[in-house]
Amino acid sequence: MKWFRQTYGYLLITIPAIGLFFFFHTYPALQGIFYSLTNWNGFGPFQFIGLQNYIDLFQDPQVLHSYLFTFQFTIVTAVIVNVLSLLIAVGLNSKIKLQKTFKALYFLPNVLSVLIVGYIFNYIFGNLIPQIATQFHITSLTQNILGTGWAWVGIVIVAVWQGAAFNSILYLAGLQTIPEDVYDAASIDGASTWTTFWKVTLPLITPFITINTVLSTKSYLQVFDQIVAMTNGGPGESTQSVSFVIYSNGFGGGELAYQSANAVVLLVIMVIVALVQMRILHSREVQL
Amino acid sequence: MKKWQYAATGIVTLSMMTPLLATNSFAQSPSVSLQFLQNKPEVVNEWNKLILEFEKQNPSISIKQINPPNVDTTLQADVAKGQVPDIVAMGADATYILMAKNGIFKSLSGTPELSHVSAAYTKMLESEVGKPTPYAIPYTVNAVPVLYNVTLFKKYHLTIPKTWNAFMAEARKIKAEGGTPFYNGFKDSWTLAVPWNPLAANEEGANFFHQLKAGSTSFMKANMKAAQRIIQFSSFGQSNQFGVNYNDANTGFAQNKSVFYVQGIWVLPVVRQANPKIKIGSFVFPATNHPAKTKMVSGVDSLLAISNSGNSAKEAAAMKFINFLLQKKNAAEYANIAGLFSTVKGVKPSDKTIFPLQTYIDQGRVVDFPDHYYPPAMAASNQYESVLQGALNKKQSPTSILQQLQSLYQQSAAHE
Repeated sequence: MKWFRQTYGYLLITIPAIGLFFFFHTYPALQGIFYSLTNWNGFGPFQFIGLQNYIDLFQDPQVLHSYLFTFQFTIVTAVIVNVLSLLIAVGLNSKIKLQKTFKALYFLPNVLSVLIVGYIFNYIFGNLIPQIATQFHITSLTQNILGTGWAWVGIVIVAVWQGAAFNSILYLAGLQTIPEDVYDAASIDGASTWTTFWKVTLPLITPFITINTVLSTKSYLQVFDQIVAMTNGGPGESTQSVSFVIYSNGFGGGELAYQSANAVVLLVIMVIVALVQMRILHSREVQL
Repeated sequence: MKKWQYAATGIVTLSMMTPLLATNSFAQSPSVSLQFLQNKPEVVNEWNKLILEFEKQNPSISIKQINPPNVDTTLQADVAKGQVPDIVAMGADATYILMAKNGIFKSLSGTPELSHVSAAYTKMLESEVGKPTPYAIPYTVNAVPVLYNVTLFKKYHLTIPKTWNAFMAEARKIKAEGGTPFYNGFKDSWTLAVPWNPLAANEEGANFFHQLKAGSTSFMKANMKAAQRIIQFSSFGQSNQFGVNYNDANTGFAQNKSVFYVQGIWVLPVVRQANPKIKIGSFVFPATNHPAKTKMVSGVDSLLAISNSGNSAKEAAAMKFINFLLQKKNAAEYANIAGLFSTVKGVKPSDKTIFPLQTYIDQGRVVDFPDHYYPPAMAASNQYESVLQGALNKKQSPTSILQQLQSLYQQSAAHE
């Protein structure tokens, strides 16, 4: 029995998981890579065209613009989300009244669906803010910002509002791993609150900064739902993200193979970005 | 991305379970059940009514209506998965053309039902696909005119403009007197296609797309006036036109916020729903300065296509449903509710608002939507409309608009 548990027991649990993972994840991914080498439009006959799709991608202004937008969006949003959620976490970790209620309250945005949040903000930007601005004669805000060159700011606001919830929970968990006695030692040495935060708290939660940065970068490089709900890529092509272009041109524009190639490129970029981040941030982590 | 996938899986699972549940609970289930996909959210109830009536007459057939929010994309995803709905009612747009070209729909050549409908629009469908057989039956046709608020029209003492210059002069007059000439929903980029289509179609001529393909013309050469005029047109829109979507624009026009509204006649039921008291008139979009030459943009709004399932029982049942829809009474009822012209011979619209347009249809002074002939990647997911939206929003020059359209055309044609 012991022999069974040691060899077959593990296999019994792992093999179905691998099977499911392969069937629902690896197989479609391989299929996508396969189609990226063809000129398939989603149905009908197709031919192999080698790396032509990949060559075309680098000359397609719409695709290049979508990468530029996605990178800018990711950098801005990831930085704001991480700074903001660290602040929220520090606040929630201090001894305040109704601490648990606030924790629940700050986590609430994460429970809501991105699409629903997007549509709600769509209404806020489109109707509520312009109406209020008109009443108070703030001319700069009487326009729906989603219809102007500032549309990306609207998307950043929504992404941050929702993203900060999840990341602050992770930071909170990180803050709770720091033992009390380190803080006691710091206060005996006469360190100010700022020095304590800078010299004690921050180095000790660096692993959590790593994981938060990697996670948020990964999800913002794939930004999609917010854009569908709020601008549909507009005005013009200004807020078209890479995922948005893959979806709308791949399925709606009969460019399934071409956009599969785009998806493969995005995958490679995301892997590279994650590896670089891990490398840089890991070297700064300290152990107690 | 993840949440979408969960939602999609959930919907797929549910929709797979529903027929199972249905067959278990009802012993006398219909022998043929059909999936019917249609693309107009405003007529869901009317379709359900027609389906119910049909099922009463044909108890052995059951039809389930599907009306997802983004029909073109859904249909392409369905095709990629190999689960095409049995009957499709959609516009004659780039997606339809792509599907028909690739043999997704059954060829209806020689079916007796074709004799019930206007041959001109059947021809239009054939020339869009570029094959001499019809892959669908045209059911209703639309028109893109200028709609006007009769009360405000009288208030500003306007007359029906016959030329572009007269039209713009009236817009200038309204603006000078503090009114809003046009209410635009340009946040939804596809609404840019509505003024663009008549302007482009009337300027570029019938051979434009052949010449474009051959490389002997370009958007720069053929559409300069259209680009200048759409810029002029948008300068008379309300100040937040790029922040208002289609639905809000409909409501805005319904609430007397503008004199004119350039939108297809399909919008009439929606506007009247928002304000039942509004009096609306219509005239043909005066895209040129030669009234005798101006043609009205009119295309097939709903066509009926049967998918090539290989299941002859299903295909026969689908044909039976189409036959039922083409009966004069049903065709008239549907066209009136949807606010469109019926293609069925002898059916006239009951809506007085669109009477002035009927002559253009009767005399054949109509031209198809030019964007039906753009390559799929250019038209199917609002690509060229996005170009217009971006360019007008940034106040770019006509040349710049046309250069962007030309480069989009070349990109899209490369992946066709």
